[in-house]
Amino acid sequence: MSRGEERRQARESGSDMKKFYFLFGAVAVVGVGVVGFNVGSGMFGSAVSEPIELDLASDEELVALAQGVTRGDPDAAVTIVEFGDYQCPGCASFALQVKPQIESMLVEPGGVKFVYYDFPLISIGHTNAFLAARASRCAADQDRYWEYHESLFRNQARWSGASTPAGAFENYAADIGLDGSDFKACLNSDKYADVVTANMRLGQRMGVTGTPTVLINANGQLRRVNNYDYQSITSAIETMTSGGPASN
Amino acid sequence: MTDTARDMAAEAAAGPVAPPTNRMVITLLALIGFFVASYLWAHNAGLTGPIVCGVGDCATVQSSEYATIGFVPVSAIGVLGYLVLLGLSFAGLQPAHRGSRAIGALLLAGSAGGVAFSAYLTYLEAFVIHAWCQYCVISAILITLIFFASLPEVARIRGSGT
Repeated sequence: MSRGEERRQARESGSDMKKFYFLFGAVAVVGVGVVGFNVGSGMFGSAVSEPIELDLASDEELVALAQGVTRGDPDAAVTIVEFGDYQCPGCASFALQVKPQIESMLVEPGGVKFVYYDFPLISIGHTNAFLAARASRCAADQDRYWEYHESLFRNQARWSGASTPAGAFENYAADIGLDGSDFKACLNSDKYADVVTANMRLGQRMGVTGTPTVLINANGQLRRVNNYDYQSITSAIETMTSGGPASN
Repeated sequence: MTDTARDMAAEAAAGPVAPPTNRMVITLLALIGFFVASYLWAHNAGLTGPIVCGVGDCATVQSSEYATIGFVPVSAIGVLGYLVLLGLSFAGLQPAHRGSRAIGALLLAGSAGGVAFSAYLTYLEAFVIHAWCQYCVISAILITLIFFASLPEVARIRGSGT
């Protein structure tokens, strides 16, 4: 090969490589942009994980928006209300030890219903609690609220400190047989952010400061139970329904 | 003489070699594949929102037991595989390695392995999971194209091509 041909070939080779690097750069920029956008929106964008501003004109509107989740006969004469936080260890004990007794001994025989309101304690650093509350509502969309509720408490230690708990929440949804696609679409949105926020505001209006807060509504009275063990709850119900003086 | 030494001797004798077009194609396809697999991996790691899917049912595929092998997500294997092919083909475009038979052989073997693995995953989607993830299908097409783009390496390995 002559020196001239070598130079010509080297020039052409350099020109081909320039075109190639241009294309390579273009593909890299588009790829980083698309993947980066999706990761960014997944981590910071779409999944609402904090309370939102509510534009409510009155307490009536707040009460209408706040929605507890009820277990048992909706017309039951006695209502046990819990304000709970999915990151609160006390709430986990209550959900896994006391609530099953309430269900089998009080709710299933009839006459008592149990209502759970979300009260995520964002202010004390429970940064995943709001998203967990929303996740439980997403499970309710598929009529599996209580199974998911228990699953979140049972696995509390695993997801509580996670920087991005959404993956764990999706796994628990899959474990109880929820439709993964619908659940993810719900979780990665702002769905129920208003309801969970309204539940928090309702709790604040009612003087709730910590969790679990257990209240009993019977005979037209609403009383707080200071000890949230099964015995204290049944004693309070007996006192309130028999018309005697409240012990708590 | 070792293969590498023979490669270098052959390149020196041949003078400047034009960058192999097939390796340019492999590099670009592997880069696209890397981003597709990275997106799925990020989703597995819970870093993305709901998976963007126009056709098929990615969520079913990604939440199936076949989405991981042991503790390793299949998408992570894809990321690694595309990264290796990308690195090899990119290296094979540099003037010192344009005639490299070793790189040619690795590209051919790697893409053939990728096609086999991808065929297995496609079989799972069609006959076991009964759901399609468009990103897995795109990846299967990409690795097949990479394999075809690797075929000119056969001539290079035999020593008759550049």
